[in-house]
Amino acid sequence: MIKTDHLSKYYSSHSHHEVRAIRDITLEITKNSFVTFKGPSGSGKTTLLNVIGTLDRPTEGKVFMYDEDITSFSDIALSRLRREKIGFIFQDFHLIPRLTSWENVSYPLIPLGVDPKKRFERARLLLERVELGDRLDHIPEELSGGQQQRVAIARALVNDPEIIIADEPTSNIDEETGEHMLKLLTELKNNGATILVATHDARFEKVADRVFKLKNGRIE
Amino acid sequence: MIHKHINLFLLATENLLRHRTKTVVVCLCIIAILSPFITAIAISEGIRAQSLVSVKEGADLYIIFDEFGRNAAIPLKYLDEIKKIFGVTKAIPRIIGRGFLQNKLAVIVGINKEDIPKSITCISGRIFENANEVVVGHELKEHFKLQIGDQFSMRGQQRKNFTVVGIFSSDSSIWGSSMILMSFNDAGELFGKQGVATDIQIHSLPGHNSEIATDLYDILQNEPYRLQDKQMIQLYFKKGFMLKEGIFTALYTVAFALGIPAILVASGFGLSERKREIGIMKATGWNTLEVLELISFEQLLISLLGATIAIVLSILWVKLFNGAFIAQFFIAEIPMLAKFTLPARFLPLPCLLSFFFAFILTMVGSIYSSWKASTESPVISMK
Repeated sequence: MIKTDHLSKYYSSHSHHEVRAIRDITLEITKNSFVTFKGPSGSGKTTLLNVIGTLDRPTEGKVFMYDEDITSFSDIALSRLRREKIGFIFQDFHLIPRLTSWENVSYPLIPLGVDPKKRFERARLLLERVELGDRLDHIPEELSGGQQQRVAIARALVNDPEIIIADEPTSNIDEETGEHMLKLLTELKNNGATILVATHDARFEKVADRVFKLKNGRIE
Repeated sequence: MIHKHINLFLLATENLLRHRTKTVVVCLCIIAILSPFITAIAISEGIRAQSLVSVKEGADLYIIFDEFGRNAAIPLKYLDEIKKIFGVTKAIPRIIGRGFLQNKLAVIVGINKEDIPKSITCISGRIFENANEVVVGHELKEHFKLQIGDQFSMRGQQRKNFTVVGIFSSDSSIWGSSMILMSFNDAGELFGKQGVATDIQIHSLPGHNSEIATDLYDILQNEPYRLQDKQMIQLYFKKGFMLKEGIFTALYTVAFALGIPAILVASGFGLSERKREIGIMKATGWNTLEVLELISFEQLLISLLGATIAIVLSILWVKLFNGAFIAQFFIAEIPMLAKFTLPARFLPLPCLLSFFFAFILTMVGSIYSSWKASTESPVISMK
């Protein structure tokens, strides 16, 4: 389902030194699998997920999704791929501060032409699923870290994605919410989704079908 | 498909309400820039229209003498001959001059009673009938608190006493407001010029102007005269207004140049937050065109709002404050608050252009940064 071919990503740092975030990574992820990426900070986990998830373009190498080389996709094609196939859960939640929970969750549906009532209904169902049915009209600053992460999860699920990419999803939340998240991701996997998680959390290894270890931008 | 655009339009509206401070600041900048300009254009158009109407309703030909390249008085000895020219229906001698009534400059028009245009009406009193009787404009009446029956004296070449017998309507032309209308003979006595007129208005049968011009040449061939028709007078008016508009535009450009950066800065308020938001939008499946459409809707709405308020304020500026500060650019020697109703015309084109201009300005302030944020990798924009 997802393949990378000699994938590398380099950044230019402020001191004009090239930072090689990931190097020559070739891997294959099958459909409906639960995959985790582990490794120390700076090992390239986030960069790898960003490149696989089309949030960033690689410097070298290719990414294949559904047997198509997505590195050659146009900006619009990548947006369509993200809209239709991928849901993201970010370490920092990345919620829009001035929007309420339900507005944040339903934001991806706006350009799809879904009318406000249906958007609200969809958001409400998802927020109830993550046990935030009573926080529909709260803006992010009125929510705890764990609650914000759950809003972010609901948003990631709003388009029924086939691929869910989570970057350190439990690093900014409490143990209980982390447990809840693991349960939810497992449930999504059982419903047919492919899950990619970058994490230090050992609990995820236990449920993962495959664990990739990264060190200095390479898979060990 | 239309639902998508409706959604984006509604979201743009909500965004303007959510960012109230920014919306208000941008609107204020637009209003501060556009309002004086719309007001000036409206006043200029109003005066121009009124001038052209008065020219249109006036005589077909104007004959004056020329001395040293300047207008000079024409002797009345030619009047009878002019009246006899075939095609001339009426030849009216006038004296038009300026004089001070105490410290206030007034336009003095001397004309025979039977030649007074029908458009001149009095709001009170009557037209002069006897010697030393005058009709005064509304502004002079207000300034000197003149009443019917009041007397005043004026000094031209000699001092003369006059009795006010009528007041012009306040809605009369801007020139009428400070005008003193008197008999031709009284004006001649006041200026110490008997047997001459400042011009002779010639009303003619349609299509006879060139023949009349030929006959006038025969009558006045040894005299330095100048003949002007309606088209020429209209051209003078237009040129005059273009010059005044030009002066206003030049002054305004300076103020405008200072206002533009303010709009650009205000439009770009919260840029880092916006950049991050665009990154999130892209990460959750929005494409660049959708992001730019949303931004464009926001700028469209804010321009529409700002320009509409600017137009409304301009109308109020003219209606309530009689175009204070701006009217002086177009009408010489009027006080800050003119005492007559200022002619103003709010035409659709300048209003549309104002909106368009506001839209361009706000777009310039936001579109590049938004485009840049939406074409970058979402990872970079979200940072």
